[in-house]
Amino acid sequence: MTSSTIHVTRQHTKAVPGTTGRGRPRLGVGAAIVYLILAVHLTVVIFPFLWMAYSSLKSNKDFLASVWSLPTNAQWANYGTALGDGKLLVYAGNSLAITVVSVALTVAMATAAGYAFVTYRTRWMPWVEVSMLVAMAIPAYVALVPLVATLRDAGLLDTRTGVVLPTVAFNLPVSVLIMRAFFSTVPRSLVEAARVDGASELRAFLRVMVPIARPAMFTTAIVNTIWVWNDFLFPLVLLNTPSKKTLPLGLTDYVGERVTDYPVLLAAILLAALGSFVVYAALQKHVIGGLTSGAVKQ
Amino acid sequence: MSTSTRSRAVRRDARAALLFLAPAVLFLAAFVAYPLLTAGVLSFHSWDGVSPRQWTGLANYERLLGDRIFWGSLRNNILVALTAIVFQVGVGMVIAYWLVRVVPRIKRFAMFLYVVPVVISEICIGLLWGFVYNPYFGLLNGFLNAVGLDELARGWLGDRSTAMPAVLVVMNLTYLGLYILLFVAAFENVDKAVYDAAAIDGAGHYRTFFSVSVPMVWSNVQATTLLAVVSSFKTFSLVYVLTRGGPNNATDVVSTYLFQTGFGNFEAGYASTIGFVQILLTAAVGVFVLGLMRRGKRGAA
Repeated sequence: MTSSTIHVTRQHTKAVPGTTGRGRPRLGVGAAIVYLILAVHLTVVIFPFLWMAYSSLKSNKDFLASVWSLPTNAQWANYGTALGDGKLLVYAGNSLAITVVSVALTVAMATAAGYAFVTYRTRWMPWVEVSMLVAMAIPAYVALVPLVATLRDAGLLDTRTGVVLPTVAFNLPVSVLIMRAFFSTVPRSLVEAARVDGASELRAFLRVMVPIARPAMFTTAIVNTIWVWNDFLFPLVLLNTPSKKTLPLGLTDYVGERVTDYPVLLAAILLAALGSFVVYAALQKHVIGGLTSGAVKQ
Repeated sequence: MSTSTRSRAVRRDARAALLFLAPAVLFLAAFVAYPLLTAGVLSFHSWDGVSPRQWTGLANYERLLGDRIFWGSLRNNILVALTAIVFQVGVGMVIAYWLVRVVPRIKRFAMFLYVVPVVISEICIGLLWGFVYNPYFGLLNGFLNAVGLDELARGWLGDRSTAMPAVLVVMNLTYLGLYILLFVAAFENVDKAVYDAAAIDGAGHYRTFFSVSVPMVWSNVQATTLLAVVSSFKTFSLVYVLTRGGPNNATDVVSTYLFQTGFGNFEAGYASTIGFVQILLTAAVGVFVLGLMRRGKRGAA
């Protein structure tokens, strides 16, 4: 009894706003075990990536001689070989184009729709909201067969535009809900003031709301960038011409073509993963915020 | 005056709402709703994807009932969902609690590492794990040989008995980071005073976790469980890149089986049937899970 009271007192003196979890009752052995478990677990999660990084610098002979060993002398040329024919760069360019256009379209439409959900009350609005929620649970592959037929009829099969359209549609519902969650935190009076000011609805939205919504739009853009950049299913089914393929799709072709030179292959995989990793490392807080709001809204 | 002003305001609202919602709604109608309805119609047809389709009534549905590969795929989807609930939601909750309450010093660093596989494309991850499981020079076999367990070494993804567990390990390690992240956010939202009260009661971490933390974030537990189930039924890329559903359909999930049926065997009608039934099943499972969790909450309270 006394000992726990002491803990509590200490906790109160140590509790500084903004710090969490500090000043807990100490548990030396317990914490040590937790450190140990996390260290082992994180090693399993991360080791394949580290292994990829150092193995990509081996010669093929070294690689086949022993998978675990470090490279004896670094073969940086593997990266030159991986990039050599320029295919990876073409794939990356396609991924970039598809991602930029899809994200821009999604964020623009999601912002407008999220604003409408919060601002206007009409009889049919709840129906639209419910269908958005339902749409989130629908797996994209269910729509694949008809999508291919529709896009073929429209002459958009095997075009990058043909990938953008369904990609945007399937990412819209979550994006709309993220934006709606943001707009519901904007004081109602601000919305009213902007509208009463004599400005048209569209101008009130563009001049007042969009500038305030920028951080939420950025968050939405980040999650969408991750989803679209990494997406595999739509490009796999909708693209056929090698020069139009995206990075994840092109990479699977690349692997098929170079089955024997493993370190070069690993260099290619690393290069393909590098973009996402750099963006994540640079914008960690935004990426984490984006993933959190993107997931919770589901 | 007030009536006419109000009705004018209502009309203005409806017009503006239409304007703001139209682009999103049109996109959803054209590329989600329309294909789904078409899939429903196609599910009653025999079609190779190109030539004129033929109405076959319920033939596809009858075939589905007796289709062992389909039910096997569905069983695998359910396995994915169940392991996700344990190893992503459950383990994620425990690790998040540790990071927030026990070892907050490494919280940021550990979260950074756990999220790395979440942001990297599943194709890169899958190709990489292909190297781990490779029968000839794989990391796993190399490790087993090094510690003298040679007889356990095998082609992990080529062996019917180990292929699905091997795929599940990759999935659960890859997506775990997302759940850690969600629960760290949830636990940090819990009022510190609640923990102080638990400490006064002399509750250790074990009891604090089960009788304070988990009940406090129960709505998050529900939401993330639903997320895990829904995502499990959407899964495609990792399975595709690791095994393409093989060996002998042992690792097929509904998505890979649908892909093979529609775009490998050109049975567009039957593929649509698979997809359509899949939607109904996902909806049923979602409702079932939510129902279970409501009861679980009442039991816990």
